[in-house]
Amino acid sequence: MLYHISQGIKGLFKAKFSTVFAIIIIAISLIVISVFLLAIVNTQRLVDSIHERMELELFVDNAMDSVDVNRIRKELDQIEGLKDIRFISREEAAQYFQSQFDADIFDILDENPLPASFRIKLTREYRSSAKVSLIIDHLKRMDGVDDVIFRQDLLAILEKYMRVAFVFVIAVGGILAFGSIYLVSNTIKLIIFSRVEIINIMKLVGATKNFIRKPFIVEGLIQGIWGALLAILILITVLRLVSIEIPNLIVIYDEIYWIILGLGLIFGFLGSMLALTKFLKY
Amino acid sequence: MIRLYNTSFRYPTGEGVTGINLKISPGDFVYLIGPSGAGKSTLLKLIYVDIFPQSGHIVVDRFNSLKFKKRYIPYLRRKIGIIFQDFKLLNDRNVFENISFVLRVTGTKKSEIKKRVLRVLAEVGLSHKRNKMPHQLSGGEQQRVAIARALVNEPIILLADEPTGNLDPAAADDILKLLENINIKGTAILMATHSDRLVRGTRKKIVNIHNGKLTI
Repeated sequence: MLYHISQGIKGLFKAKFSTVFAIIIIAISLIVISVFLLAIVNTQRLVDSIHERMELELFVDNAMDSVDVNRIRKELDQIEGLKDIRFISREEAAQYFQSQFDADIFDILDENPLPASFRIKLTREYRSSAKVSLIIDHLKRMDGVDDVIFRQDLLAILEKYMRVAFVFVIAVGGILAFGSIYLVSNTIKLIIFSRVEIINIMKLVGATKNFIRKPFIVEGLIQGIWGALLAILILITVLRLVSIEIPNLIVIYDEIYWIILGLGLIFGFLGSMLALTKFLKY
Repeated sequence: MIRLYNTSFRYPTGEGVTGINLKISPGDFVYLIGPSGAGKSTLLKLIYVDIFPQSGHIVVDRFNSLKFKKRYIPYLRRKIGIIFQDFKLLNDRNVFENISFVLRVTGTKKSEIKKRVLRVLAEVGLSHKRNKMPHQLSGGEQQRVAIARALVNEPIILLADEPTGNLDPAAADDILKLLENINIKGTAILMATHSDRLVRGTRKKIVNIHNGKLTI
């Protein structure tokens, strides 16, 4: 193995220009992909924050007293998928009305028609249309519940766009990944092309494909690592500049750097494997 | 050891060999004589499986082209030493490394590699030039390195494709003498050449090839 590693490193130094070129190509591909990944992650973050703000409103029948309200509260606590259950009394509802419309409800009506309610958030697993429908049905059947309101249409629109976005992500991400590997493989092919003679001589003296391949794979992996490090450096610099101009626009997760490093290794490995296929045919 | 049974191979251009029957036994020295384009290189390529017979079949040691798989090629080539007119040395490695890398290919131990490379270098008379780069050697010396590289794996046969084509007559005679010595020690040799001068007066087996057909 040491022999293959030393041959791989020697190879890199022999083809300095092509190596630097390959590293730059890998870095550019990784930057494009990571910008794409960041866009996805940040869109997901936006959707999550919309989801997080969506609340169910459960209105209590005006005929119910505080004992009933407590019972409903206990029942709600038992239901899976509900969180942050907040009780709004009739008085609080009136105050809320006043703050929203800047008018006292008692000036318009003689009595407070606003029912007491519960505002309820959904846990992450229950934020799909189908599951919300089941919960709403269940809540509506509860004794003392007048009505349950939820912006189901908004959820449906979000789901629809997320589906479209998912297909888009898979398609564009796939094209970008394949394109990058193809580009990297062609660059590595250029490097290998200058060493076709060596490969042919190796074949003549009985080297197996694996033996010929190993130093080139070491080269590919080293190029992948350097390409990834370059991409990370550029990305950190650019994101820092952007966050100075527009703070909080983009949230970066540290995982992205590991993903870039992993992709760099994969690109280097697959790139050299693909590039070698042509030259290793007997 | 090596047998070709009614073997044919034609390139799309029409060149190649047809209906070759040939037997080379251990210790043989066979000259393959013919003009350029007669099919000498094609015949050698068939033996080291650079090309595959279109009809007929070939047996090289325990390998039979009828039951042959491409993955056997490296193992067959380790049984065969090959030298060419243009030497085909690795110009970025010195003499020692040019030879030792053949043994690395077969996974030979480092200590064993040193021993065997030095032994084969002594055999071709280049021990003192083991650290030189190919471009620092004369044509004859470069061909000696190529011969050493071909021999280091202790092949059953040495295939020589116009080995003296790039050399002056004196260097060519030296190489021929070296090949004869190697043959005396037991390695079979099949040498393709278009030079009648080299085989004049020889008592070795001569096979003539013309338009892809053998005339013995």
